[in-house]
Amino acid sequence: MAETIFKPKRKSGPIKFATLGAWGISILFFLPVAWIISTAFKPKASIVVSPPVFIFKPTLNNITEALSFDNTLSYFTHSIIYSFGSVIIAILVAYLAAYSFSRYKPAGTDFLMFLLLSTRFVPAAAFVVPYFQLFNLLKLKDSYIGLIAFYAMFSIPFSVWILKGFLDGISQRFDETGLVYGASRWHIMFKVILPQVKPGLVASFVFNILFVWNEFLFNFQLGGAKTFGIPVGLFTGSTKGGAIDWAYVASIGTLYVLPLVVVIYAFQKYLLVGLTFGTVRGEV
Amino acid sequence: MAKSVETLEKSIKDAPKAKKPESKKNWFSWGLLAPVLFFFILMSVLPTIWMFGLAFYDYTLTSANKPKLIGFKNFTDFLANQQLAGSVSRTFIFLLCAVIIQTLLGILIGVLFWKNDKMPGRRLALTLFFTPMVVTPIATSLFWKFILDPTLGVINYFVSVLGFERFDTLTDQTLAFPTLVFVDTWMWTPFMTLMTLAALGSVPKAELEAAQVDRLPITRLIRTVIWPHAKFILGLGILLRTIDAFKTMDLAYVMTGGGPGDRTELIAVSLYRFAFKSFKLGYSSAVSVFLMFIAIALTSIYLYILNAKKKSEA
Repeated sequence: MAETIFKPKRKSGPIKFATLGAWGISILFFLPVAWIISTAFKPKASIVVSPPVFIFKPTLNNITEALSFDNTLSYFTHSIIYSFGSVIIAILVAYLAAYSFSRYKPAGTDFLMFLLLSTRFVPAAAFVVPYFQLFNLLKLKDSYIGLIAFYAMFSIPFSVWILKGFLDGISQRFDETGLVYGASRWHIMFKVILPQVKPGLVASFVFNILFVWNEFLFNFQLGGAKTFGIPVGLFTGSTKGGAIDWAYVASIGTLYVLPLVVVIYAFQKYLLVGLTFGTVRGEV
Repeated sequence: MAKSVETLEKSIKDAPKAKKPESKKNWFSWGLLAPVLFFFILMSVLPTIWMFGLAFYDYTLTSANKPKLIGFKNFTDFLANQQLAGSVSRTFIFLLCAVIIQTLLGILIGVLFWKNDKMPGRRLALTLFFTPMVVTPIATSLFWKFILDPTLGVINYFVSVLGFERFDTLTDQTLAFPTLVFVDTWMWTPFMTLMTLAALGSVPKAELEAAQVDRLPITRLIRTVIWPHAKFILGLGILLRTIDAFKTMDLAYVMTGGGPGDRTELIAVSLYRFAFKSFKLGYSSAVSVFLMFIAIALTSIYLYILNAKKKSEA
């Protein structure tokens, strides 16, 4: 649509220049990450040297070494368990709530939606202390139950907002037709309406996993050796013996960042709705 | 004719609702909400009440004294604390610098991608471009620490090749703060580009085509066609970015630890330090209560823009 408006008289020249510019900016922004990825494949002697090495024979030694440390693999499994566990629970309960908000609009809907959104706008550090004490009191520290419950709450506001947005876009006629034909409410919710909000489900699933996966502070304070995830592993594992172990940072950083790149590529059309808490939808 | 069809449709729409008993509908709607309310009360309301309570106590984890009710003393202490006032104003300077730079850059890059909507490999280019904003700040901080390292860092290598003296940006009194803004800009400019693309995408194509037929000059095109539609999403983007910049903690904590001195000490970093370095739980809760009210105010503004957007669309 854009080029129908700004179509230049000589088509090939300026367009190509702009394309080059767009690609150049993309590569420039990716360069720091690319540098870390390339560092992960350097021979150890070429990492901690000055001047930096640009041409080298790639090796997997750093990555295999980083993975051979006792905790490394467990960071990944912990992250997978608590992020998937919490997000699945969150989406399930959020769908029920979003359906209720969208179809029945119980008294106080707007206020509850407001409260849910505002919980995501408070700096995380503000809530660490009460959670820390609550977790100590309930003996939930360093337990999956505690972390999954916490991250479920962490994911619920966003899921409710995103799913309500999608549900509001689906005509109530579907519900009414179902009722007229004698379908139960559960049948309507899960067999008629649910398939139609699939994009909302995908978006809230992918982005909640991403947010939980990336969360550091609460995992650091409420978790422990049995439940530390990747960001904490990257942080604590980076400072072995005083100095920062750059080979470790680069290796684990690479293993962490590559799936992210794939996720953004695969789910690019959900990126907007995902990063605006479901409040903005549109094509990019 | 058209009107009678409309009223017929309306009566069909209203009919099944009217038949359903109100109380049963209410019971069902609250039943659906119950699980979320359970989580919300247990994991959000309870800690918030706890936090409010703590804010009125003199409670230091490391001291032998029992927690003591001291009323508003934590709040008055905190309002009188020059150091904390420094972190608050520093946070606002950080937020202003970061959001303004990121918005301008984001809009420029957004327009570039908008005009190139058929460029080869657009999806891959956008993927590379969007990567910085989904990397956890812990990883970002460590990555940049490596890149900016005075002896090992690749940036300082080029600086020395160009004949300048190597510098240690993260411990430099004057450079530390701009470096933090710079890394934050690297992380979040893609977000403003994303919002710009969405804002431009929200302009109806028919209006753009009509403007083209009328040969509207570019300034008038922006002012009368694009801006009235794009302003809402752009506004939401700027506000979300403001809220996030206000929350910045991990980045400053890992990259500079608030230093050198207090040059990069943002409010969230101070808060974390009060709670987990000096264990002043009562005091840190008072600061948290203050931050929570700011967050609630920002949420209200956010929803205000969102509602204005909905109204203009309707």
